[in-house]
Amino acid sequence: MTGDRLLGLFFVFFALATIFAWIPLDVDSGVVENVRRRLVIGDSLGPIIAGVVLAVGGLLTALNPKSDSGSLQRSNLAWIACLLIVISISLVLIRYSGPTIAGLLTESGYRPLRDTFPWKYIGHLVGGTLLVSALIGLTAQRYHWSHWVVGFFAALTIALVFDIPFEDLQLPPNGDL
Amino acid sequence: MSLLDHVVLGVQAVFLGSEAFSVFGIPLSTTLLMIVGGFLFGIVVGATPGLAGPMAMAISLPILISVFGFSSDALLPVIGFLIGIMKGATVGGAVPAILFNTPGTPDAYLTTLDGHPMAQRGQATKALKIAHFSSASGDTFSDVVLVVCAPFLAILVESYLDLPEKAALLILSLAFIASVIGDSVGKGLISMGLGLLAAMVATGSDFYPRLTFGIQGFAEGIPVAAAVLGVMILGEVFKSLEDWREAVRHSEPTPHVVQAAHQPLSLAEIVSLMPVIGRSSVIGTAIGALPGIGSTLAATLGYTLGKRAHAKRTHPEDAKFGDGIPEGVAATEAANSSVSGANLIPVLSLGIPGNAAAVFLILAMDSIGGFNPGPSVFRVPADGVNFELVIAFGIFTSMFVANVANWTVGGLFMRNMGIMAKVPKSTLLPIVLLLTLTGVYVQETNLFAVYMTIAFGFLGYVMRRVDMSPLPFVIAFILGGRLEETSRQAFAATGADPFFLLSSPLALLFVLLSLAVVVINLRKSSK
Repeated sequence: MTGDRLLGLFFVFFALATIFAWIPLDVDSGVVENVRRRLVIGDSLGPIIAGVVLAVGGLLTALNPKSDSGSLQRSNLAWIACLLIVISISLVLIRYSGPTIAGLLTESGYRPLRDTFPWKYIGHLVGGTLLVSALIGLTAQRYHWSHWVVGFFAALTIALVFDIPFEDLQLPPNGDL
Repeated sequence: MSLLDHVVLGVQAVFLGSEAFSVFGIPLSTTLLMIVGGFLFGIVVGATPGLAGPMAMAISLPILISVFGFSSDALLPVIGFLIGIMKGATVGGAVPAILFNTPGTPDAYLTTLDGHPMAQRGQATKALKIAHFSSASGDTFSDVVLVVCAPFLAILVESYLDLPEKAALLILSLAFIASVIGDSVGKGLISMGLGLLAAMVATGSDFYPRLTFGIQGFAEGIPVAAAVLGVMILGEVFKSLEDWREAVRHSEPTPHVVQAAHQPLSLAEIVSLMPVIGRSSVIGTAIGALPGIGSTLAATLGYTLGKRAHAKRTHPEDAKFGDGIPEGVAATEAANSSVSGANLIPVLSLGIPGNAAAVFLILAMDSIGGFNPGPSVFRVPADGVNFELVIAFGIFTSMFVANVANWTVGGLFMRNMGIMAKVPKSTLLPIVLLLTLTGVYVQETNLFAVYMTIAFGFLGYVMRRVDMSPLPFVIAFILGGRLEETSRQAFAATGADPFFLLSSPLALLFVLLSLAVVVINLRKSSK
């Protein structure tokens, strides 16, 4: 079975699941509703039309597959996994490094410090440095200390670009804490 | 106020807006500086392989909005900067294409066919001068067409189209975009269906936020920045990083070629190139005005038709397209640059983005507020000022200011940007990724929006790997809410007529055209 055929069939099933399961379970109003004795379009119609477009697109792709069309290879899935690991670790560091360090070094914790120097930069700097340097190494297929330097200065520059001129902007993760 | 008064106010808004600083007592407006700054930045971006105009527009947008805020005063500086990037990137894309056989932007690929052989013969500067002249000519022509056509199209739409026709026109636009992009109508429709579905999450008229799985993070809907930047930018970053990882294994150094010391572009040569530039400019402008067909097709058509005309005019033993002739460079560059003005015709007159650059312009207008692109923009009020019309003429003025920058400093600046091709993608793209994620966070102040952006990034990556264009997704996502709202209003206005899309001849025509465009492209792609 070609990649196109698989892709098409996947979206046909996805569309059917959307129309017959997701929409009835997760939308409160129907296709049309009677509101104050007037018929109006309900919230289900738009998603159903999107589902029908998906189903038609899937059907056309499955029935008209192209032999030279691109498809997801095992190497692509491995790449997605690598990216997911790097990004997930970076996001965990962005989210938790500031609160963890503040928890260890201060009594007040992170929340009262989140808008003060240097605390407000910690998450972005630690996670951002890892994200940039790990991706450079992963792409260049070699690891060098210079990647960490590039990563650190990139994260620092981005943090300063947003933080210095604009008092009301919050770097990640400070808006969530 | 008359139309002319609005034109004057629009021009004044650009030249006499808030003053940045003055030179010898002459005040320079912020908007003016932003347009020129955006244009020069665009050239740098275009000259850097791996960074395209839309990517630079995407990463600039959150920073610009942070600087200028959400007031209506922010509209012209922000849009002016983005227009500058859009135009500059097209010009800059020719630099690595000619010097290093590496197109800086996808549509500059065809520039490599003649530009790089010229550089290998020691005529790199001349090739760059031809690319710049053709690009600036095509761009200027396209802008003139924009100024003439957009208001008339908008007035026609406003005069003749009621709610059912407007809903049908949106359907036609979406069907057109889904069908003509890529080589598979089915995948175009899937991309569009996904965009529509994403647009439906947590919107609607009911109290309960639909399609959210009960997850609180979705309750406010999917942020436009998360969906658009995820699919358009992160998807491209993920794919390009993987491609670069593969390319590292097979890379070969570029041989150094000694360039001729003096490479002027004479008036006679310019005159001889004019027919090629004229033809390509018309092609690029016509294609740019149609939603969904980008500058890559314009460049391909301009090059192909130029090649055919050149072959007819010359002897078989003469140099032909592909051998490194000036006509080849001019045909491509004039065509791809003339898309940038014309693609604002559907944006300003209908509110429909035709390509990726237009998506970010609409995103900027949408984020800042106070300007809703569409036919109502060009309404001239009996008394008082239509602020949106003033902004529209300010945008037109910004396009011409960018052109002046292109004609004056663009060529010199562009010819010195060869160094940018040496910046490795493997360093640049991870920085773009971090910048995009930080930009989304400062806009949304919510890590869930960052997670959504990454998820859409993976969707964009998969779409690219299975040869599915992400553009129908993005355009359907942007237009989905408007299509639903217009349909609701049309349904109510026609007294709950379920066949409101077929009730008037014009609406019926648009619906039939939507079906026709899908069927025709389906048959074409089946062959």
